[in-house]
Amino acid sequence: MIVDPVMIGILGSVSVFILIFLGMHIAFSMMFVGFVGLYILCAFEPAVAATASTMWEVASFYPYTVIPLFVIMGSLAGSSGMTRDLYSSFDKWTRKVPGGLAVATIGACGAFAAVSGSSVATAAAMGTVALPEMERFKYDPKLSTGSVAAGGTLGFLIPPSIGFVVYGMLTEQSIGKLLISGVLPGLLLAGAYASICVLWAVLYPQAAPRDLEPVTWKEKLTALNGVKEPLFIFLFVIGGIYTGFFTPDEAGAIGATILLVVATVKRKLTWPALFSSLTGSIRISVMVLMLVAGANVFSTFMALSTIPVQAANWVTSFDVSRYVILAMIILIYVILGCFLDAISMMVLTLPVVFPIILALHFDPIWFGVVAVLMMEAGLITPPMGLNLFTVAGVAKGVRLETIIKGTAPFLGAIIVVAIILTVFPNIALVLPKMMGK
Amino acid sequence: MYTSAKNVIQTITRVLGYVGMVFIFPMMLLTSADATFRDLFSRTIPGAFELSSLMLSILVLLGLAYAQQMRDHVRVTFLVERLPQKLGTIVTIITTLMSMSIVAILCWQGVVLALENTQVSDMLRIPQWPFRMLVAVGAFFLLLEFFFDLVDSVRRLAE
Repeated sequence: MIVDPVMIGILGSVSVFILIFLGMHIAFSMMFVGFVGLYILCAFEPAVAATASTMWEVASFYPYTVIPLFVIMGSLAGSSGMTRDLYSSFDKWTRKVPGGLAVATIGACGAFAAVSGSSVATAAAMGTVALPEMERFKYDPKLSTGSVAAGGTLGFLIPPSIGFVVYGMLTEQSIGKLLISGVLPGLLLAGAYASICVLWAVLYPQAAPRDLEPVTWKEKLTALNGVKEPLFIFLFVIGGIYTGFFTPDEAGAIGATILLVVATVKRKLTWPALFSSLTGSIRISVMVLMLVAGANVFSTFMALSTIPVQAANWVTSFDVSRYVILAMIILIYVILGCFLDAISMMVLTLPVVFPIILALHFDPIWFGVVAVLMMEAGLITPPMGLNLFTVAGVAKGVRLETIIKGTAPFLGAIIVVAIILTVFPNIALVLPKMMGK
Repeated sequence: MYTSAKNVIQTITRVLGYVGMVFIFPMMLLTSADATFRDLFSRTIPGAFELSSLMLSILVLLGLAYAQQMRDHVRVTFLVERLPQKLGTIVTIITTLMSMSIVAILCWQGVVLALENTQVSDMLRIPQWPFRMLVAVGAFFLLLEFFFDLVDSVRRLAE
């Protein structure tokens, strides 16, 4: 029997999606279908061997050490008490601004994102500090929970970022360059989020009652101390990557070591906190790398089926502007983001989407920023937005619907930032371009 | 009998995870030291690179089953939850069996590929096969975790 590889490839892609929506674990469904596909297109022996050796290669690939290291860096930062200091610093500076506490939440999330690579961790850590404070001043729960859930997404764009690491792994782009490319768009997005908070408070003043207690300049200057520590670590770690002193893996290791020392010296590191940092790190690393292993088996099968090449040829044969295709890809990501978590979404789509992006002559680093932006959107879109659930877990007594309504304006900000980046790609590319020289 | 066996095995799975996660520390310190020495004194620690990747393999492979026990491997459940309960359980049983089949392949081939392997690391000449064997160890306990889930589903169906 002659099998048409393209046909098998299409069948395989469809079955992965069916299996995932039937509740099969995403990593194992990709590995399973990848294996069956290799069996059909090659033979049984190479298929089983390829599956098992992919597992080993992913588990022992040195650059992936960056994942456990970034995760532990973030959770050590959380247990060193950094979030509280950051929040009170930002509060002192933004108190006069309408919606000041929400703006401070965004600011503190952005600053915490500079030492944490995970969006969920950022939302959880900042939520426990910022939500009670906003509740005390009788903020509309929509604004308070929305700003925390959205602010948390900054963890993915502002380096260190697990999102860029996974994108870099799957597309074989420089992880260092990707991380650096997130800095300016991250600041832009934080600015857009903050503007939404201000606008919200101006349009609906009852949503954000003002705190009229004045802050002296002396207090403001002392408050800067809370920003010093994360700023130093960020400049050291990300600056080290930028100047080429360290690789991202080394930066993660050094950042984690510094934070371990800081947390121990400040006597903030308890045994339970250390234990949960470690378990968190291994659990997230295993989850991510299992997805990558599944994706690698699946993309070996995809490559054999020639689907990525065919899809790229097919898409480029359309007589439309490449921006129309980009808009469609973004739309697909917004829809997928409603049902899938950020990492799974990348792992599932990039084997086919990335060759299309290259064929359309988009910059791969720039698209990494857009892809990470879309992962962020996926974190706050119902029904399966991870940050929504995280905030619902922290904000006792607030309904999920309220949080969903609260994040909607911030979703708009993500789309606006994606458009700005498409018009001015240099916002993402200017820093990584200077790196190589 | 089944319950106590399950408890023992799940405890072993957790302990394997705890053993794996401790390796984050040496990985962190070794990598930091290596980078610092290189940048400040232009000297590297011999084998830091390969030791880190071997430690990563211990961490990931020993954590495989632990992550499943903690329900960390991502899945989309909102559709299955909306199916009639009986149908949903049957679907879950089928998908669990499919996951088990691929994990069984990992376990079996993990042993085969480890025993065939004669590679040693570049600098320190550490043989690779014992670490490759961890693919089989991790997959074996992962298989058992899936088996417990399967038994739970079958029991739900029988009720």
